[in-house]
Amino acid sequence: MGLHPTVIVWGLLAGPIWGLIGAWGLPRVYRQKGLGASGAGTVGALAGFVAGPLLLAPLWYFTPELTRRWSVGVAALAALELYTLFAILYPDNLCVTNRDYVLNQVASGLTIGFIYALMAVGLTLIYSVQGVISFAHGQFYMVGGYVSYYLLQLLTDFNPIIGVPVAGLATLIIGMAFERTFLRPMHLGQIERAGEYAILVTFGFGFFLEYTTLAAVGPFSQKTGPFINAGSFVLGPLRLLPNRLVAAAVGIGLILALLYLIRYTWLGKGLRAVSQDKQAAAVSGVNPLTMNTLAFGIGTMLAGMSGATLIPVFTWVPWVGATAAVRSFVIIVLGGLGAIPGALFGGLIIGLVQALGAGCYPDPSKGAAYKEAFGLVIFALVLLWRPTGLFGREQ
Amino acid sequence: MMRRIDRRWVATGILVVLLLVAPSFLKSSYRLSVVTGGFFYAILAASWALLSGLAGQFSFAHMALTGIGAYTAALLGRDLGTSPVTGIIVGTLMAGLVGLIIGTLCLRLRAAYLALFTIAFSEILRIALLTEFQYTEGSNGVQLASLYPGITARGEYYVMLALLMGTLGLMYWLAGSRFGLFVRAMREDEEAAAAMGVNVVRYKVLVFVITSLIVGLCGSVFYHQVGIITPNTMQLLQMALVIAYAVIGGIESLFGAALGAFLSRIGLEMLREINILGLHIKFGAWRYAAFGLLLMFTLRFAQNGLLYPIINRFFQQQVREETVAKRKEPAEVQA
Repeated sequence: MGLHPTVIVWGLLAGPIWGLIGAWGLPRVYRQKGLGASGAGTVGALAGFVAGPLLLAPLWYFTPELTRRWSVGVAALAALELYTLFAILYPDNLCVTNRDYVLNQVASGLTIGFIYALMAVGLTLIYSVQGVISFAHGQFYMVGGYVSYYLLQLLTDFNPIIGVPVAGLATLIIGMAFERTFLRPMHLGQIERAGEYAILVTFGFGFFLEYTTLAAVGPFSQKTGPFINAGSFVLGPLRLLPNRLVAAAVGIGLILALLYLIRYTWLGKGLRAVSQDKQAAAVSGVNPLTMNTLAFGIGTMLAGMSGATLIPVFTWVPWVGATAAVRSFVIIVLGGLGAIPGALFGGLIIGLVQALGAGCYPDPSKGAAYKEAFGLVIFALVLLWRPTGLFGREQ
Repeated sequence: MMRRIDRRWVATGILVVLLLVAPSFLKSSYRLSVVTGGFFYAILAASWALLSGLAGQFSFAHMALTGIGAYTAALLGRDLGTSPVTGIIVGTLMAGLVGLIIGTLCLRLRAAYLALFTIAFSEILRIALLTEFQYTEGSNGVQLASLYPGITARGEYYVMLALLMGTLGLMYWLAGSRFGLFVRAMREDEEAAAAMGVNVVRYKVLVFVITSLIVGLCGSVFYHQVGIITPNTMQLLQMALVIAYAVIGGIESLFGAALGAFLSRIGLEMLREINILGLHIKFGAWRYAAFGLLLMFTLRFAQNGLLYPIINRFFQQQVREETVAKRKEPAEVQA
């Protein structure tokens, strides 16, 4: 590509500048014409970024009703433009030259995304029922992995899949015991400043779990045997790792089981009732305190199970939880706090972003290291821009 | 009233004199450096107490801001050959600038969201420092020159002590001024405070900037003494330790948090290994596990911390009884 550097520099500058103009100007135009300005800032920013005055001027003149279709459309255009820019800047990158490589990255991102989603669904379930973000979630995930590991040390001939239910049971019990002792007093109104207490006490419990595990098992990296011993599984242009596929299948199965539980059983109805209105639930014979404990237990169980699912895939150290926890925060905020389908989509999106980001980063050795950072950047943007997330309830 | 103030000043004076003469009794440079580290964490915990206890902003970016101060000083010293003093000044300003940006970005975010955002920020920063090894040397860290050539452990002790007293004094003055009143009012009810004429935006950002400057300053000074800064200092667990110190000391009292950090730090260091009657016990990570348990029980059963109520009892006994007696009456009338 024979583009003069000056053109590239101006191209890079023009987008953000027009974006700023759009973000600042479009809501004002809408308000001046007496129309609802919700979403105008976003659409203005993206439209300005993509096409500058070409798209801003008609918006300014016709002021169409800005439905979700508009924001999705301009966002897609922006993504396309960024990709083109990337292709111009790095013409030799594998993501530009090799379509099969991109497809493989997408497939591996989606595969791992289901497990990410499984853990995040637990966190969002706890939030939707209790209104508490558990800062110990990553440590439950870590404990789940270790329970599975030590179980398989005892039962060496078994497939690592038997670790999943056992780890789930262990973390269920730990989680419910913790909720009963430390979070229930908060719901009974025995504690001042409940919000701050919830942050600190879950954080403190995570700290305790992490150091206890570190003291008990030592700072060595460990891993169980794989689910399946087989070479990669070829499907058209895709080369998939069977071990990860099994992990993803376990994740999908557990998420489906959870959705069934929440939608069709009495327990699920109780949980949903408490998450919608505690007092009304109590009046209709659902004990909110019991539901709180159960929701926390189920949430931590899911974390533990996803830990047990991933220990045959990744290596395990006692501080593996922090990264996983941060990843779950990203996912649930992206999907909207308390929204279970949101957590599912968030998990898939983060899986994709990580795989593509790591695979396409210009310097491959750094791409893998920045894997988590790509998700975090999206997270920071979502928090600042739309804190309710994609599927969030308006507060 | 007069007697209470006298008692406070006398106690402070005694404490300061004790700390000033302590190096003569501590002797070994290992013990001196442990106490110096205690001062460092005391500043961190106290400034965290100012930010989250008094102003109600739960930030997990404290260690990251410390690291920004230290890394700025380290990179300036290494690549441009500036003196430590220049590095410290620029590092402090840099931390303040980042604090300003975070504070402004987070204005709209409520407690849990702010915590999440600051965790994300610290993690991005740590990952970036680990990855960009051609500038930061990754996990090996960057070396820093000593504060001045030929500094002794004793000199470092006095530098950190001066920093502790200076920042604590500043923070006490702030907490007692209109500023402290305003941020506490905002913590209780932001809208009510705004309705009473408090410029909420300005004070929210200001408290973030001030604490960032303080931790940037003490970070860049402290790591000049340590001699090396690595991304590991910004781990979430390090931040967890600072929070634990502050909570155990008393999150709503600057002095409580500082004392909590100081004592816990030294206590944890002493528990590293113990010799009792010839028995040699190494506690390793178990002491932190026990510390975590202590943190949780403090939160559950002593929300004001373990030290703050004791300090309060010692200094404010008469006042406390008086207010308790006054409070009882209307409650009984109502019942």
